[in-house]
Amino acid sequence: MKKMLAMILVGGRGTRLGDITKKIAKPAVSFGAKYRLIDFTLSNLSNSNISTVGIVTQYEPFELMNYIGSGASWDLDYIDGGIRFLTPYSQQGDVLWQKGTAHAIKQYYRFIEEYKAEYVLILSGDHIYKMDYNEMLKTHIEQKAEVTIAATNISFKEASRFGILEINQDNRLVNFTEKPANPKSTLASMGIYIFSTSVLKELFNREEEEDLTDFGKDIIPHCLRMKRDLAVHVFKDYWRDVGTVNSLYNSNMDLLEDFNFLGLNSSKNFPIFSKSLNLPPHIVMDTGSVTSSVIADGSIIAGKVHHSTLAYSTVVGLNSTVEDSVILPNVKIGNNVYLKKVIVNQDVDIPDNYYYSSNEVCLLTEDKLLEVGEIK
Amino acid sequence: MRDLFLVVDATSRGNFSKLTRHRVPGAIPFGGKYRLIDFTLSNCKNSGINNVAIFPYGNYRSLSDHIGSGDRWDLSRRHDGIFILPPKNLSITLENEISFQRMYEHIEYFYRSNQEYAIITTANMVWNVDYYQFLEEHLKHEADLTEVLSDMHKVLKTYIISKKLLLEYIENYDQIAFRNLSDVFDYGPSIKKHTIVIDTFSYNISSASELYEANMQILLPWVRKQLFLETRPIYSKETMSAPSRYGDFAKIKNSIIASGAVIEGEVENSIIGRKVRVHYGAKIKDSIIMNQSVIENDALVEYSIFDKETKVLKGSVVTGEEDEIFVSEKKQIVTTHKKLAILQLSAECYPYIKTGGLADVVGALAEEFSDMGKKSQVMLPLYPQIKEKYDLLLELKVSNSVKYDKKMYKVNLYSITNTNTVYYFIESYDFFEREKIYGYEDDGDRFAFFTVAALSFLDTIDEHPDIIHIHDWHLGLLPLLLKTRNIDIKTLMTIHNIEYQGIYDLDILKKLEIDNPLQYTRLSKLNFMEIGLNNATKISTVSETYKDELRYEYYSKNLVEIINKRFRDFYGILNGLSKDVNPTEDLEIAMKYNLVNVFTAKKVNKIDLQRRLNINQGDNYFIIGMVSRIVEQKGFEIIIPALHQILENQEIEFVILGTGDEIYLEQLKTLKDRFPDRVSINLTYDATKPSYIYAGSDVFLMPSRYEPCGIGQMIALRYGTIPIVRQTGGLNDTIDNFDTSSKRGNGFKFFNYDTRDLLFQLNNAFNLHKNNKSDWNQLIINAMNSRFSLADSAKKYLELYQMI
Repeated sequence: MKKMLAMILVGGRGTRLGDITKKIAKPAVSFGAKYRLIDFTLSNLSNSNISTVGIVTQYEPFELMNYIGSGASWDLDYIDGGIRFLTPYSQQGDVLWQKGTAHAIKQYYRFIEEYKAEYVLILSGDHIYKMDYNEMLKTHIEQKAEVTIAATNISFKEASRFGILEINQDNRLVNFTEKPANPKSTLASMGIYIFSTSVLKELFNREEEEDLTDFGKDIIPHCLRMKRDLAVHVFKDYWRDVGTVNSLYNSNMDLLEDFNFLGLNSSKNFPIFSKSLNLPPHIVMDTGSVTSSVIADGSIIAGKVHHSTLAYSTVVGLNSTVEDSVILPNVKIGNNVYLKKVIVNQDVDIPDNYYYSSNEVCLLTEDKLLEVGEIK
Repeated sequence: MRDLFLVVDATSRGNFSKLTRHRVPGAIPFGGKYRLIDFTLSNCKNSGINNVAIFPYGNYRSLSDHIGSGDRWDLSRRHDGIFILPPKNLSITLENEISFQRMYEHIEYFYRSNQEYAIITTANMVWNVDYYQFLEEHLKHEADLTEVLSDMHKVLKTYIISKKLLLEYIENYDQIAFRNLSDVFDYGPSIKKHTIVIDTFSYNISSASELYEANMQILLPWVRKQLFLETRPIYSKETMSAPSRYGDFAKIKNSIIASGAVIEGEVENSIIGRKVRVHYGAKIKDSIIMNQSVIENDALVEYSIFDKETKVLKGSVVTGEEDEIFVSEKKQIVTTHKKLAILQLSAECYPYIKTGGLADVVGALAEEFSDMGKKSQVMLPLYPQIKEKYDLLLELKVSNSVKYDKKMYKVNLYSITNTNTVYYFIESYDFFEREKIYGYEDDGDRFAFFTVAALSFLDTIDEHPDIIHIHDWHLGLLPLLLKTRNIDIKTLMTIHNIEYQGIYDLDILKKLEIDNPLQYTRLSKLNFMEIGLNNATKISTVSETYKDELRYEYYSKNLVEIINKRFRDFYGILNGLSKDVNPTEDLEIAMKYNLVNVFTAKKVNKIDLQRRLNINQGDNYFIIGMVSRIVEQKGFEIIIPALHQILENQEIEFVILGTGDEIYLEQLKTLKDRFPDRVSINLTYDATKPSYIYAGSDVFLMPSRYEPCGIGQMIALRYGTIPIVRQTGGLNDTIDNFDTSSKRGNGFKFFNYDTRDLLFQLNNAFNLHKNNKSDWNQLIINAMNSRFSLADSAKKYLELYQMI
């Protein structure tokens, strides 16, 4: 018997990330040179000693499954439990994709039953944060809650992008509004839930016809209506939901600004793991220079790199300059190139003498290269 | 693809200085994120081999940590997989190459492997190759034994052989004349040999300087191209680390930086390992910095290899030189060398009083320390011999009363200053005013008294010492006395000869007012050396190999437990040879010489030697020379039978100078009677003037059973006389076997303490001398270019003092 098992939902298409998620699932998107978004959630689980993890995949799961493999890189390859991929299946020949996040869990409820866990932790695969889920479980148990929602304070400006929570003095949820036009609070749901298993079972085995398919849209409002015991666990550290090209860029810049970002380069007791790619360490050539940046293995730097993140196997050619940019994996930048404030998509080759600079963040993809920049 | 299995030879210790204190060479970090063995194992994976045996020597823990189950290289298999096969017989000492005997210990592995062919290679190879291509070549040429050479024709200790033939050698290891595959390849008759010369980058790394060079080479684009192929990646143990991070003021040029490193300072022409931190203002040039080292603000590092977790303190300057790389130990804290005050305490010191090699070492170190700008001081008992000879120079400093055995004794402290070194002498009528310096029943009391008297002067002498360096058993009680009297000074104790331990009555501790002697020793007698080894801050001996040998009871006898207990604080530092010993200035030889005229002069000196000792004269004779105490330790049990055989060859002569045990003297006289015209035995020990023997002989014989450091072989090298030695102690550390393909090496050495192996090398030397003059001359040049300077050993002692 396990105390708590985790379900990671990686179903979303992530269309707001544009061409970045054309070929890969959102959680497999590269972040901070060395990581994939999913690394944070998997490392949190590993560091929280949660050893049974179901990953509910839906869209372009191949690269993600390939990346996670047995889960050994995050020390999650347990014989009893470990990582299981739960891909959607059709029950009667008509329902191919899960209808929503909750529906996906319902389809795999057997998985939860198999391990007889007391609690089920519901997670997203594309958040950047470092969290010990046992702290949240502590809240859940101490508050004697049936459901606990993790929440974080965000700026008022962003509030209309999130599910907004209103709480009373006892940290109980009293109202929940999904993406409100006029938010009444700045406490946003992080899309992370702990359910007591019995409650989840009841919810899935209801008599009513109405289908509860999404946690944010259906289940939480339903629980509120039924006067279920809903606690809120307020998380105070760094947390970002990387949903758009801009937020991906900004989170990368957050990492550059803060020398101790999430303690990545210093933390010994709560490390963020990532899968090693068997690449040699990067080299900075005689002609190269690097300042205020992070660089992953396999890169070769013959030009100038400033205030940028470079994912693995990036090549920066002679006399080229990369500034304030996010370079995704395996990008080859030719000679005499100038790039400023861009995200370069995975596997893009930038030809010699290419020039692009702007004040707005721009995503450079193979087919749109010459639409946005020019060869000088 | 299942017909090849791999034997990884990790038996060689190489010459990696401090880097192999805690690991075998295969586990040494390389290229920022790898360990040396990653290359061999990755080649193995990329070649589709899944049966591997690693034969390590000694401390292979870090190697097995790194390899784990082998799953990183797909070697965690149900059938076959990876096997670490440690030595079973721990009293077999180190060799440079895996022997058939060593394989025999695990012959079951070979029986069980069902592949038809074996590749034998080393754990220290950096290359990216397909082993199956070697096998194809081997089969195409229908060879019995194939050797792989580098593009520069260097030996890579890599062979292909059928399992059937290999098993024949292993099963008969004690019957055949070959110890290992390179012997078979070089001398084995009646087998078909083939050589493959590869055309891509390869480096068999066997020393710290080669490690440095190979690391620097991966900065070259063509080397990286041949080493890191997309189709054949190099796999390493997966570790958790962040991307490398650069600060706002980072300056970086021509360097490799592994993940997790944080660079805020300057880095140029360097290899930076995982999670290294270079703080703002620090500068690193031409260096290799291994994992998790920290370089604090404004430090300067040049030409250095830092082992893992080295810490360079703020503002320190650590600069090696291009041909003398500074090497730090794991977790060492490095600071700028401050002006150290050193006090050496010894029973003898050249030039004041000398009975043996100990005096030379102490005296030479004292001078070298002063030359290096340290405060160098030596303290000795004032023997009457010194008083007589140096009466006019001795300056009375102070008088004291010292309590010993409840009585007060008067002592006087004298000093002589000689080119910045201050020598102190303690005068005591009761203890030191005697005819001889040792050999009295109360020697225990005499040196216990010397120890306590020396302590009484610590505050009187010019420089209060930062470190006290004590030599041999005589000062063994000093570290304990410092402890019981709460004096906080660090000590280094050097073992020159473990045979003399100073065993006396336990009462001596009481006389020094140390109660409860049983608290400090479990023995019923007081053993000065045991007490010293137990209590000194660090301990050392006079060569790296001897240090390792002392772990075995065969060498360290009753002290084996204590040596092993203190092994992590135990260092080996080779003695050097004074610059004054050389054939260029030697007035005792017929013709003085140096590298320019050595070949002419050797002939002249040979004839002179033959004339002086009245043996057959002629340049065509091959002269075996010896200058040695004639005792069992020096190898006479195997020398005499070997000489009886080799001297049947009419072209060989033998000369010896020395004195010793009657039994061997008799046997030598018999030898002389048998070959009167070609043997000369000189039993008057005239150690001061033996240089005509060094100058006139072709080879110098020194097959000691054990030899902590040895000096004869170093003198021989300087005189261009080729040493033939047994692979033990300092002999192993000073002599490299001459390799006919690379033309490297400065002598001949053999491993087994038996007559057959000695004869084998004597014959090799004779044949090379007779049949290959150009190789022989190269060997003489290599010998004369060998460098074992006192300055080098003094430098190493200083580094050790800094670490204490």
